[in-house]
Amino acid sequence: MTTMIAVDGVGKTFVLHNQSGIRLNVLAGASLSVEAGEAVVLSGPSGAGKSTLLRILYGNYRPTSGQVLVRHEGHLVDLVGAAPRAVLEIRRRTLGWVSQFLRVIPRISALDLVRDPLLARGIGESEATRRARDMLARMNLPESLWTLPPQTFSGGEQQRVNIARSLVDPAPVLLLDEPTASLDAANRDVVVELVEAARARGSAIVGIFHDEAVRSRVATRMVDVTSFSPRIGSAP
Amino acid sequence: MSAPLDSAAKVATGADGDAPLLTATGVTRFYGERIGCEDVSFDLWPGEVLGIVGESGSGKSTLLRCLAGLDRPTSGRIGFRDGSRVTPDIFALDEQRRRALMRTAWGIVHQNPRDGLRMGVSAGGNIGERLIDRGDRHYGNIRVAAVDWLQRVEIDPARIDDRPTQFSGGMQQRLQIARVLVSEPKLVYMDEPTGGLDVSVQARLLDLLRALVRDLGLAAIIVTHDLAVARLLTDRLMVMRRGRVVEEGLTDQVLDDPQHPYTQLLTASVLAA
Amino acid sequence: MQKSVGPPKRDEAYNFAYLDEQTKRMVRRALLKAVAVPGYQVPFGSREMPLARGWGTGGIQVTASVIGPDDTLKVIDQGADDTTNAVSIRRFFARVAGVATTEATGEASIIQTRHRIPEAPLRAGQILVYQVPQPEPLRKLEPKEAETRKMHAWGDYGLMHVRLYEDIARFGRVATTYSYPVLVNGRYVMSPSPIPKFDNPKLGMCAALQLFGAGREKRIYAIPPWTEVKSLDFDDHPFEVQTWDEPCALCGAADSYLDEVITDDKGSRMFVCSDSHYCEERRAAGHVGRLLGSETGQKLTGGAKE
Repeated sequence: MTTMIAVDGVGKTFVLHNQSGIRLNVLAGASLSVEAGEAVVLSGPSGAGKSTLLRILYGNYRPTSGQVLVRHEGHLVDLVGAAPRAVLEIRRRTLGWVSQFLRVIPRISALDLVRDPLLARGIGESEATRRARDMLARMNLPESLWTLPPQTFSGGEQQRVNIARSLVDPAPVLLLDEPTASLDAANRDVVVELVEAARARGSAIVGIFHDEAVRSRVATRMVDVTSFSPRIGSAP
Repeated sequence: MSAPLDSAAKVATGADGDAPLLTATGVTRFYGERIGCEDVSFDLWPGEVLGIVGESGSGKSTLLRCLAGLDRPTSGRIGFRDGSRVTPDIFALDEQRRRALMRTAWGIVHQNPRDGLRMGVSAGGNIGERLIDRGDRHYGNIRVAAVDWLQRVEIDPARIDDRPTQFSGGMQQRLQIARVLVSEPKLVYMDEPTGGLDVSVQARLLDLLRALVRDLGLAAIIVTHDLAVARLLTDRLMVMRRGRVVEEGLTDQVLDDPQHPYTQLLTASVLAA
Repeated sequence: MQKSVGPPKRDEAYNFAYLDEQTKRMVRRALLKAVAVPGYQVPFGSREMPLARGWGTGGIQVTASVIGPDDTLKVIDQGADDTTNAVSIRRFFARVAGVATTEATGEASIIQTRHRIPEAPLRAGQILVYQVPQPEPLRKLEPKEAETRKMHAWGDYGLMHVRLYEDIARFGRVATTYSYPVLVNGRYVMSPSPIPKFDNPKLGMCAALQLFGAGREKRIYAIPPWTEVKSLDFDDHPFEVQTWDEPCALCGAADSYLDEVITDDKGSRMFVCSDSHYCEERRAAGHVGRLLGSETGQKLTGGAKE
């Protein structure tokens, strides 16, 4: 078994300096290790720190303590304290983030958006185009929209473009932040199939899903983050 | 965890990425008793886009002027590496060599296009000047390059012989960018590149800058007080206050998980991205 | 027309050549430096002269500093020896220096000029003194003196080519016809004063010493004999001089710089040599132009005096 991503003794305390220095202890001693081909779904009540943990895994939040290890090009690398360019490179090659929100880049067509990650990984132009078209078709995005920039699309259409972009060439580690929220049943099924396919090809997956049915279909393991909660939720 | 841990510094970042392009060490600039910027140190790597944010008077423009060779620091060093050509401190060079470096190795996009353009010279002449400075003496070739760059910054090539005074603010700014990029610098400094432009014009310019920086593999240092601009264009951020860097890191880290009270104050006043 | 005048009696009320000896020494020091650094503009303490600045005071001060009692002076204005300015300056030196004057290029040891180089080749030992209104070739492009000095110091002359670029872009060719910038001795870009670019090729590898004086701008510069002078250009738009479709209407010269002269109020016109002495010498040697001897031609040559 190969550990793809792991946290060890991770704690996170937010200090709100502009609100009289309130300290929010969200995580303490969080430890988790995810193998290739595993899909871990984080569970726990709202506010338990699922989202915080996922963002720490992506290097978006900086933990107050502990290590965040990612297997990048065969080596385990600690994201904590890594140089920004190293984190960016790890995200480019190893860490994929899939959410329901598309950061719209003006004037770039949906097709180019989906093709982009393939080209960036050195896949040839025609092959990349073919795979991007397949993906958009699979996400049930009307072909008439493919050549248009998504900023004029509906929220649901943008979400599907984003998922197509994120899953067209799944990264070795996929972090899923409720990608199926607000999708209709048919599209939700497609996303679940894609995630399942990525896992089968060896991606390690960590995700948050509110939908109980999706959760149980995707997960090979559930981890309840309440076990990572500090004993005292917050202290002044 | 018992798995072997490799140093994050070993993470490959692609060709040409094994040495910093720019190295600032303890850069300090006083204006008499007043602090412009103090003790700023960082490395900038090829292809990286660094944002410097902070409110007016925080020292970000002073720092930019020092880095760009326009303003001599009171103390500290600014090193620059162009391939195998290493300059340990650009201010240790005589002014002539520093100016030559400023013309070939990096470019400056000023907030006010009037500071970066020759208003009495045509658009083509403005773009051509950097090539002429480089030693190009073939009119036809200069002309071809000027047309190409006007197109790349989305200015109608038919306007090649018009003067910048006949251009809108957004066009002037795009012309300034063409003038800077035509000589293929490794690094571009931008001081509030979208300042003074309408919001719709800003969006177009940002989009253009983003594409150019990505396509040309440019390193850039962008000074802005606009966190949305920083989020869209930069990989890394330095937050400055009262002349000092109070926080730095990946752009999304700094904006989404700000640690310093001042950064929290800055980000709290901006709508979530 | 009288060609040469022997040395008249000097007006003893003035110091020789008007300027006091200390001033002349100061100007000569500037001249020596200018000769030592060809094309470099040397600042000097320009003095008040008995005519307004802008009327050739720089050239006059240079002439006054290099002239001796044995010199023979020629003064031309736009190529002509007989215009008011040329006549006045010639008289001035005849009076304050008691020197001989001439209109013959070959006889002169010092030639003060405004806006022309004589057509006849100059010889070693002659000095050509230019009156310069604006010595700074970069001034129109860069208004700040501190900046133009740096540009000269560092040979930072890209802007000059931007000016040429602008010309070609607008007119299809370099439209600058006078004050056409040159690179002297491969180092300094220099304004040749407002001579027509036709004269630019004569600046280089010239046997005579060329001195430039700008009185209002307080600058002196020089081209020593046999110095390389290159007119700036682009590889694909090489430097060219003006040409005319017809020769001089009076002397038939096809190799000289021609002025267009309107001969009546019906718009008739003709082209004649700008260098009046050159034209006269050719006519004296028997060359005949299209209109020589005609009524219009006679008006221009000063009637049937000869």
